[in-house]
Amino acid sequence: MKEYQAIVTACKPLTANVQALTFDIGERAVVRPGQFLNISTGNEMNLLRRPIAICKAEGSEITVCFQIKGSGTASLAKAKRGDVLSVLLPLGNGFYASEREKKIALIGGGVGVFPMISCIRAYCEKKQVYSYIGFRNKDAVCMEEEIEKSTQYTIVTDDGSYGLHKNAVQAFADDFERNTPDVVFACGPTPMLKALQSFMAEKNIPCYLSLEERMGCGIGACLVCVCTLTGGEHARVCKDGPVFNAKEVLL
Amino acid sequence: MADLSVNICGVPFKNPVIGASGTFGFGREFNEIYDISQIGGLSTKGLTVEPRLGNPVPRIAESKGVILNAVGLQNPGVEHFIKEDLPWLKTKDVVVIANVAGKTLEDYEKICERLNGLVDMVELNISCPNVRAGGMALGIRPENIREVTSLTKAKLTKTPLIVKLSPNVESIATNARAAEEGGADCISLVNTFTGMVVDLERRRPVLQNNTGGVSGSGIKPIALRMVYEAAHAVKIPVIGMGGISTGKDALEFMMAGARAVQVGTANFTETTAMPRIIREMNDWLDAHGVGSVNEIVNALQMN
Repeated sequence: MKEYQAIVTACKPLTANVQALTFDIGERAVVRPGQFLNISTGNEMNLLRRPIAICKAEGSEITVCFQIKGSGTASLAKAKRGDVLSVLLPLGNGFYASEREKKIALIGGGVGVFPMISCIRAYCEKKQVYSYIGFRNKDAVCMEEEIEKSTQYTIVTDDGSYGLHKNAVQAFADDFERNTPDVVFACGPTPMLKALQSFMAEKNIPCYLSLEERMGCGIGACLVCVCTLTGGEHARVCKDGPVFNAKEVLL
Repeated sequence: MADLSVNICGVPFKNPVIGASGTFGFGREFNEIYDISQIGGLSTKGLTVEPRLGNPVPRIAESKGVILNAVGLQNPGVEHFIKEDLPWLKTKDVVVIANVAGKTLEDYEKICERLNGLVDMVELNISCPNVRAGGMALGIRPENIREVTSLTKAKLTKTPLIVKLSPNVESIATNARAAEEGGADCISLVNTFTGMVVDLERRRPVLQNNTGGVSGSGIKPIALRMVYEAAHAVKIPVIGMGGISTGKDALEFMMAGARAVQVGTANFTETTAMPRIIREMNDWLDAHGVGSVNEIVNALQMN
């Protein structure tokens, strides 16, 4: 975990409202799948850095993909090659598959697909990776060239305009008997994670969910981004997460 | 190299830059990024007698040049702090200020009694909680400030007491004097301004708590004016804060009468903000041939 003055090398649209930003941190990045970073928007009116999942780390170059949603992400999307942005990384615990877990199911929805891509890249050569990736519609589909590195993958859309007409959790559930995984990783909108949490509740297979929350410091000091665990206590999404055991977290 | 050391109420600081309460935890997380012995001091997350879970999320929002927070004093309780965090903090060369909060006057007395002699200083957070006095916030009325200060000062026989003032008041000078009259050894200001951010599409405030405390560079001119007014109303030392993000900002507060400064929101914008601010203060003093930062205190000449 270190603070860098990163130099932007590319910033281009992936879809109508999702931007891919690549920058160089000047040294080899050691990043686990599912970890995130905190990046300044380049606009000094935005005092908070934006927490974004790391999609790719190649040498000293890191790529994040984010939805343009408010003033901060709109500023960040305007980053130009050569711009310098303050970045803190790598943050959070990330996903981890043990030696014994040889078959991994990945469920990603919306911008939750990007941390799933970091998992595909980390595990596709060593393990069986079954990916179930959901998008809103055909126009939102992106990074299929990364998704197809999975051992097997299913793309679904909410309106059926591309791939199967169902949601990612349904696609996973429909395939569950045939391709039963040893471990499940997921990231996406809360309703999707809730559906998965309930599907996995009675199954004796570990399931890990990556959560999103508005953050302050990004390192666990300010206690802004808490979630509630099943015991009633609070955990910090940035430091204790963002990945939590589905059986231990309340959504 | 300019001399950055200051002395506040007999407590020596190697430099006048202090991590503000609530932005710096108990120092451990920031210490993973840089050695916190570099900074002058830290004010802990607000401590209460019993652990608190705080408010529901979202607890943070943003507006141009400022942020709003409504964490709601989530903390592990004073006993946990004494057992788990304080021994580690003692291994660091940094002034430890325990920030304390409570619901009732008894809470404040109890926690101050417990911390007496254990920490370098105690900072009283009287800016948010409601008390028995008709629900009026404890830090608003001068008579309440005087009362809570004198009651807690009586418990703090070995530890200097800082009273942290709210800016959401009629007269900051009157409240600063009330703290002094109550026996405060020092005052710090400003705490956050109460504000709100609205999500137009959802027709709801962004913060689950609806309102929150506004901080960050956007509040600096107001904070600076209030620090100036408070510092000129009392004889006890003043610690200034409110939107400080550069060495020059820090020196402006000291020029207006602060003997040290706290840095809060800037720690979020840039994790290593405080070491940079310390370097920048030194550079400015060197460039202007000022030997000691103490020469800057109160150097402001009004038009």
